[in-house]
Amino acid sequence: MPAYEDLQRAAQEVWAAIEEPQRPLVRVAIGSCSLAVGAAETLEALKKALAEQRLAADIMIVGCPGLCFAEPLLDIHVPGLPRIVYGNVSAEDVPELVNDVFHGDGVCKRLAIGAIPKQGESIIRYIQTAAAGIPDIHSHEWMSIQETRLMASCGVIDPVDLEHYVARGGYEGLAKTVTMTDEQVIQQISDSALTGRGGAAFPTGRKWDFLRGAPGPVKYMVCNADEGDPGSFVNRNLMEGDPHGIIEGMAIGGYATGASYGYIYIREEYPLAAERVEAAIKRARERGLLGENIFGSGFSFDLEVVRGAGSYVCGEETGLIASIEDIRGMPKIRPPFPAQAGVFGKPTNVNNVESYANAPLIMRRGPRWWASVGSESQKGTKMFSLSGQLRRVGVLEVPMGTPMRDLIQTAGGGVPPGRSLKTVQPGGPLSGIIPAADVIVPGGVGILLEPDPFRERGMFMGSGGLVVMDDSNCILELCKYFEWFAETESCGRCTTCFAGTRRLVEILNRISEGEGRESDLQLIELLGETMRNANCVHGQAAPTSVNSMLRFFREELMEHIQNKRCPAQACAGLIRYEVRRLSDRLEQAGNICPTGAIVREPDSTYYIDQKLCIKCDACREIAPESIEVVDITQPESVVEPAAVSE
Amino acid sequence: MGLSTRHSSRFTPVDFIEENAELLARVQQALSDLAPDGADLLKAFHRIQSELGYVPKAAIPYLASRFKTTPADIYGAISFYSEVHTEPPPRILVEWCSGPACLLKGSLRIRRVLEAVFGCVMGETTSDNGIGLRLVQCDGTCHIAPQIRVDHDYIGPMSAPQAVQLARELKARNLV
Repeated sequence: MPAYEDLQRAAQEVWAAIEEPQRPLVRVAIGSCSLAVGAAETLEALKKALAEQRLAADIMIVGCPGLCFAEPLLDIHVPGLPRIVYGNVSAEDVPELVNDVFHGDGVCKRLAIGAIPKQGESIIRYIQTAAAGIPDIHSHEWMSIQETRLMASCGVIDPVDLEHYVARGGYEGLAKTVTMTDEQVIQQISDSALTGRGGAAFPTGRKWDFLRGAPGPVKYMVCNADEGDPGSFVNRNLMEGDPHGIIEGMAIGGYATGASYGYIYIREEYPLAAERVEAAIKRARERGLLGENIFGSGFSFDLEVVRGAGSYVCGEETGLIASIEDIRGMPKIRPPFPAQAGVFGKPTNVNNVESYANAPLIMRRGPRWWASVGSESQKGTKMFSLSGQLRRVGVLEVPMGTPMRDLIQTAGGGVPPGRSLKTVQPGGPLSGIIPAADVIVPGGVGILLEPDPFRERGMFMGSGGLVVMDDSNCILELCKYFEWFAETESCGRCTTCFAGTRRLVEILNRISEGEGRESDLQLIELLGETMRNANCVHGQAAPTSVNSMLRFFREELMEHIQNKRCPAQACAGLIRYEVRRLSDRLEQAGNICPTGAIVREPDSTYYIDQKLCIKCDACREIAPESIEVVDITQPESVVEPAAVSE
Repeated sequence: MGLSTRHSSRFTPVDFIEENAELLARVQQALSDLAPDGADLLKAFHRIQSELGYVPKAAIPYLASRFKTTPADIYGAISFYSEVHTEPPPRILVEWCSGPACLLKGSLRIRRVLEAVFGCVMGETTSDNGIGLRLVQCDGTCHIAPQIRVDHDYIGPMSAPQAVQLARELKARNLV
């Protein structure tokens, strides 16, 4: 049973060699996002090049620092230089990188996206070195708005390595925790004003106190890592990049509440996250940081990972509990609340990944420090994932209350050139839609990222996903998707939910096919009202997006209903592909057509057989000057002859 | 009387389950060191699926006995989770991401292409069980939207013409 000081001393020895490497140290980001773009191949190519050229260097696997848009990403720390971050490094780029770094001046300028000087050190210090001219990564638009606390070690440490985590202050919070009483620990959490990061924003200290007061001896801590909201991937990033923080947070919660066992429920879609959390648990157990008599305090706590199998409602806490209990993961009616009867009928606390990961920071640095960032009503930081129509996609961490605009316009780089922002969809299919006018407010900062402004609009901020839509997208198509999702993922227990979502899907489908009726608007509103009576939040919140559409995009919806027209020309039932101009690319377009819908006439003119056309757009992408999308209501146009080319 | 009849009471889907000694042996092997004491059913599904690629219905009675419950409850759980498959995987697995980032970037067009070229709809396999088209949920790899995955390899961002070419190649490969 090591004392914390012994653990820290051993960790510092390991870490010193990493902070001040004697030979080049290469950190390669390996996460779900980087593996999807060939990071494994980059790593392999790097290992091969180093071995073949007998170069003295070390390679370390780290998590994604959130710059998914720049994956495959790696950074190289050459002694005497700052760490240099290289982005979009494919296996083919490796020879150039190795050549520049090991046989040149230590820097590959073409691939460098920024430098990471040591903490408290200015990049100016390196003006006389090969790193001159490479900007501090923190001045990058993606980084400049961030306050990284939870993510501070993502991309810096080997995610499962216990020494790395300890060297940067890990498990100090737990060591302090076990010297206090349970009430004192809860007081610390309450003083910080930490609220649940899963979406409900319930005060964590108060929640823990419910469990503390529940009768024992058997109680459970449960971590909801079933991040099922499509477009949200902040929990994945944290589990893959710094899993020990979650484990430590759950142990702190266990001590404060009298729970001695925990479950981390990770969704099926996150195999790497599950693997890393399990590996981290194993390391923690080996060092006595999980198990019996932690830090000699008499406190015992252990954990296991439960992997989901593809069910969105298992992210609802009672559904998640049911899923752990070896039965269908169907939500139950509350009360009883989990603190009264949770897993196996025992008192249980369910928190989100990010909520738990904040606990070690509060215990280590104190509630006052922790609450030093944030807004009036919400303290601390919050992680967000950006996706959709943006120049940069990834994960970032900002103080609570940061304007959404800063994430979309600054970090994300805005929508593609020539497009305008239409909406931002926060926190998953049940959360609603924020129109662009609320995000970009002339002379103002627009909507702030904290729960209250969303609640005021009858929506939810959710757990951190922000999906961005521009004017090329159809609002109805997005809402159809959300309702389809809500219907597919309905557990089926209550008719209000499963039949309500089905009706919504039917109505939206017919509108998108040009069969909409004006009375459909009232029908949608009626369904929205009725579904508030569903048994769980899944059914209750399912119409939120459709309600936002009625509120902010009524005109666009009416255009579909009254004029049978989709302004974004996205709804397949309301558009037609036509040959408008002859060109020599039409033959190729005809070849790409998967259904043979492009017909060549004996006189070498072309037309599209509308009965065969599936509106996949492949032909138009091949021959954009010849093929056009037109509204279904438009009369058939005359084909123009080919433009004469020089 | 094999394991398959142990729970054939009023819950009986058992009578409809074909016995398959070889499959059952592999299932038992996959679960040999599992001592179910709660929170283990999903683990059992995952283990069987990683061994066989699917959870055969023939394993239901055995699972019911291991988990001291009814075959109906086991079947209920299997049918509840979209990532527990009860049929063997196809030779070529094509997964189509249904997520919002992919949607906004044109994934429906990709879907139409895949369905047209393979001649099967989402969730089905081609008539020879060669190519299977599966809908998957967003896993947050949205930087390559719209994406598809072929045998778990990610491909994206994907245009409609690329999808046509890839689908045709896969179809040709399946026929070889």
